[in-house]
Amino acid sequence: MKIDSGKKGLIINILSLIGFVILWQILVILARNDSFNIPFIRLRDIPTPVETWYALADSMFTRTYGPGLTYGIINHVYASLQRVVQGGIIAFIIGVPVGIGVGYSKLIGNLFNPVIEIVRNMPPMAWIPLSIFIFVFGGSIFIVFIGVIFPIILNTIQGVKSTDPRLIDAAKTLGASESMIVKKVVIPSAFPSIITGLRIGLGVGWMAIVAAEMVIRSPVGLGYFIWNMGDLGRYAEMVAGMIVIGVIGYIMNISILFFQRRFINWAD
Amino acid sequence: MGRLVMNSVSKKFNNFLALENVSFEVEDGEFVCLLGPSGCGKTTILRLAAGLEAPSSGDLTLDGKKISGVNKECGFVFQEYALFPWRTVKENIEFGPQVKGMTRNECERISRYYIDLVGLGGFENRYPHELSGGMKQRVGIARAYANNPKLLLMDEPFGALDAQTRNLMQSELLRIWEKEHISVLFVTHSVDEAVYLGDRVVIMSARPGKVKDIFKVKLERPRIRTSPEANIIRDSVLKSLSTQIKMASKSG
Repeated sequence: MKIDSGKKGLIINILSLIGFVILWQILVILARNDSFNIPFIRLRDIPTPVETWYALADSMFTRTYGPGLTYGIINHVYASLQRVVQGGIIAFIIGVPVGIGVGYSKLIGNLFNPVIEIVRNMPPMAWIPLSIFIFVFGGSIFIVFIGVIFPIILNTIQGVKSTDPRLIDAAKTLGASESMIVKKVVIPSAFPSIITGLRIGLGVGWMAIVAAEMVIRSPVGLGYFIWNMGDLGRYAEMVAGMIVIGVIGYIMNISILFFQRRFINWAD
Repeated sequence: MGRLVMNSVSKKFNNFLALENVSFEVEDGEFVCLLGPSGCGKTTILRLAAGLEAPSSGDLTLDGKKISGVNKECGFVFQEYALFPWRTVKENIEFGPQVKGMTRNECERISRYYIDLVGLGGFENRYPHELSGGMKQRVGIARAYANNPKLLLMDEPFGALDAQTRNLMQSELLRIWEKEHISVLFVTHSVDEAVYLGDRVVIMSARPGKVKDIFKVKLERPRIRTSPEANIIRDSVLKSLSTQIKMASKSG
């Protein structure tokens, strides 16, 4: 979701968010009064925004939920973000050079493309069972890695391939060697695409980490948190966790967009 | 230094014959304009001289040395500027010195000199998208000059500019060229431009590209665009060109 930068747009955006929350509250209350009902959906069991808000405030910092549960949402956020950042960094370090190689050289392209084309169609979640038994630790970081690396590779390839050939010619006539051309023309030219790949990749990675934490059962992490709260019947905490996931994903996305606009301002 | 010789050069792209048996030379310090209908291979000649393409037959020499591989002794100025958009004016001009491994100070000194020469003082830290077309091409010219070439290859450098800026840039180019006297091969499809700038004007015919006529423009500089002498030359150039254009449009 992109929030309009114009003032009018911003007001409409905020109103729509408030409207959504009000609608949510009204529907649940009506369902609880038996005056509104959708067949086959237990609307009355959905926590209201007010309940969710209190649950969020309540479980934000360290607290105890019976045996072994001593983490606040803030700890879960930190744990999940840490995995996404670690998986993201590894994916970036490997993905960018691979993307540059595949995009720039036909030989490397022919070498890597078959593997990339097949593996990228295997969703990160499909790797969870394998990662559970091959990784002694860090399985969820690997799931993030799988989610982040392919958007980075594909966008890097696209960025490299769309380098203006006249810029390469210009660099050649100015005496640049092949490696100089890659370093001083191809990579800077592909840089906006690389960052776009990182942005899309982190979005995928963020979704993947929640799924991985549910299955891999790390003792801390947002995916684990919402799964556990569901298990314990603490639906308000669970929904609070879901909203936190959404908000953090959104913040990651706009932070990178902001970085792109601020520091890659030549790409107009 | 800076004598380009084209020796019966032909160039084929797949089955398309772009140039056939083209021979002419650019003397040391001479300003030669290449004029012809579109598709006559003017740009191909520049790319051959820059070593960005190899001839199918014949050869090109610069100061007697055969051009094979990218010719690092020429500067190329592109129609659409081809500036590095992520580099400032100064950084664009310093590209050549940088890849040659010159020190920061040398690069600095060179860019300062050429920024002043092309009149871009005060704009050194602007990015290309913050410049007008005329200013972009000043950067393009400075960037080519900063590499200290023996030959400047210019591919319709002012083609994208409005008429007034174009006239101004032509005078500016001559001013720079008179200061930094190197050979220039200048592609244009404007007769006015060719007659205003060139020591000689090479007329090309199309499909395949051949040299049809070569005119010497024996006018003192600074030239008056509308002088009777200039008009006489323009008239004969136009006549030579119009037969070409008729032929090109018949066969095309």
